[in-house]
Amino acid sequence: MTNDPINRRDWLAAMALGGVAFGCPFLACAQNHSTDKPLDAGPSAGLAAVPARWWKAAGELRVECELCPNKCRVADRERGTCGVRENRDGKYYTLVHSRSCALHLDPIEKKPFFHVLPGATALSLAAPGCNIQCKFCQNWEISQARPEQVPLRQSSPGALAEMARSMGAPTIACTYSEPAVWAEYVFDIATAARKAAVRTLMVSNGYIEHGAMSDLSQVLAAVKIDLKSMTERFYREQCVGKLAPVLDTLRLLHQRQVWFEIVMLVIPVLNDTQAEARDLARFVKSELSPEVPVHFTRFHPSYRMQNLPSTPVATLTRARDAALEEGLHYVYVGNVPGHPGAHTNCPSCHKILVKRVNMVTVENRIVAGSCPDCKTKIAGLWT
Amino acid sequence: MMNRGRRRLLEGLMAVAGTAITGCAKAAPAERREPRHQKPGGFEPGLVVRAQRSNLRDESSGKIDQGRLKATLGAVVARTTGDATPSAAFSRLFRATDVVGIKVGTLAGRSLSPHPELVLQLFEWLVAVGVKPENVVVWDRLDNELERAGYRLNRERNGMRCLGTNQEYDWSPREWGDGGSCFANLLVNELTALINVAVVKDHDLAGVSAGLKNWYGAIHNPNKYHDGGCSPYVAQLAAFPLIKDKLRLTVLDALVAQCHGGPAFSARWAWPCGTVLASRDPVALDTVAWRIIDEQRLKLGLQSLASEKREPKWIAAAAALGLGEHRSDRIKLVDV
Repeated sequence: MTNDPINRRDWLAAMALGGVAFGCPFLACAQNHSTDKPLDAGPSAGLAAVPARWWKAAGELRVECELCPNKCRVADRERGTCGVRENRDGKYYTLVHSRSCALHLDPIEKKPFFHVLPGATALSLAAPGCNIQCKFCQNWEISQARPEQVPLRQSSPGALAEMARSMGAPTIACTYSEPAVWAEYVFDIATAARKAAVRTLMVSNGYIEHGAMSDLSQVLAAVKIDLKSMTERFYREQCVGKLAPVLDTLRLLHQRQVWFEIVMLVIPVLNDTQAEARDLARFVKSELSPEVPVHFTRFHPSYRMQNLPSTPVATLTRARDAALEEGLHYVYVGNVPGHPGAHTNCPSCHKILVKRVNMVTVENRIVAGSCPDCKTKIAGLWT
Repeated sequence: MMNRGRRRLLEGLMAVAGTAITGCAKAAPAERREPRHQKPGGFEPGLVVRAQRSNLRDESSGKIDQGRLKATLGAVVARTTGDATPSAAFSRLFRATDVVGIKVGTLAGRSLSPHPELVLQLFEWLVAVGVKPENVVVWDRLDNELERAGYRLNRERNGMRCLGTNQEYDWSPREWGDGGSCFANLLVNELTALINVAVVKDHDLAGVSAGLKNWYGAIHNPNKYHDGGCSPYVAQLAAFPLIKDKLRLTVLDALVAQCHGGPAFSARWAWPCGTVLASRDPVALDTVAWRIIDEQRLKLGLQSLASEKREPKWIAAAAALGLGEHRSDRIKLVDV
């Protein structure tokens, strides 16, 4: 495999592009778009609610949520584990529809999507909430929060689609927290975006029920799934979740032919063995496709996991090598600026096709979805 | 590459940490189960004091007879510490320099939340023993829940404060037992003493929501801890030093209680219980609250919580953590 080192010119180009891309934080974006404004409702006003999908009545004003595998049984005035869906008089509502707590213009590589429109920008947003509790969450301030605990802005699906179009962003990414728990909002964003010729991406833990994901798969362009580990024990002890439903989601996405990429955050001691990387690779190859991109990314101490060091780069390199040996075509190393494992290589001739530095594409040689040298078809959404 | 020595060190550290946590939980010896106290005296393990009056609240209007409530609550509080008057009890429990948080549970709105009149009476006794009015803070999760329960918000230091935590958490996650949360900034950085004022009601998942469950309102992520009937989370949270070491008194306002359909108010299952309870033993108090709920359930032809597999297992867990007494033969229920 060809792994060219980064030259100084690439590095500076990446920094310059990154500077532009990252220079659009929440308020800077919003100020230029009158449809996006702070919510009037303060803590004393309570939160307006939008009827939820994916639930059923469970007797005596209870509801049972059917959105995610937690299947919360929720009594009147209570919320599910996610903290953003509430039972009011026996009906279930989402409290975060059209309410964003983060809005940025990011490079699409930051999601990361490496096989979707390299070099494109993604209007990236989050609403609060998550349905699992990863001790190492990088965005816990919003994912583990209830909507009252974070500043929210009114961001309707139509306004977001218009904002993306006017800013020249070909994609909207539902990301940062767990979009599965604001699936109604995601669905409506994707529907509105489609009308504006903008694609919608979802960055998710994949902890979602078949019905909801099936509905979403009809409107989403691509999905990134965080596969935390290949063991139930890890999911139980580190995330308060389960592995099996996540694998089911991956199978569903493959079956529905929705483009998806997989990220595994490699954490020292907990999920960093080569055996686990091989397990993941074998699952992907045998049950999905060897063409599914897999990213091994670097852990840094965060949230409730401050007692472990950052992942050694060599560990990530070994994981990547193991997955390639197992037969996957596209395996990446993430969160390591300058690592050659961030480039896309042709699986046939091994030449670099897409060169990336610091989550920014600096060169894209793919032509009509193929390697320009050996004409091998490269899986992905390139146009 | 992580070498073997480094890996072993990390694994060792994790194993030691795990052992230490598990060890603490398992090692709570029987002889140390009595709660710790800020001041000597005024405490009797397992003691729960109850007053039952039918004339404290007008059921048609909901209006409280403030004079009768004062006398009744005063008798309960005084007996709780074994003092002659509520003022004497409060002077035993609080110092003039304390900043006292009165944690109320107001999720269920005006019909099933602690009555503001009862809280106001506690405030008066605090002031009577020298606590500055602005150093008394009536507090719950959200402004809007307090307001719906009939409380008037006041964030100014011109008298008793009344406020929701809203977004004001100490945003440094703390580990408590199996959980991890950010705690209300007020609790972390200002309050030196706590009075817990809750109601007596059924809770669909926890079985009972009374005193101990009320502490879910002190953390930013209560929704994450409802699995397994909220056990052992309710117990572990109440055992966290920020709460356990500051708690001086728990009062249950059961003028109206609810035996089914909680935690929200349900007119069908609420009843005029006409009862006020207090204790310095929060486990014994919640055990009595469970009994009250089950008695009413049986009276109405409902199954017991245990029969519905909704018994509050966290009560025994709280006892095992040394927070109080849950064995029937060790609980002394005194009527005044």
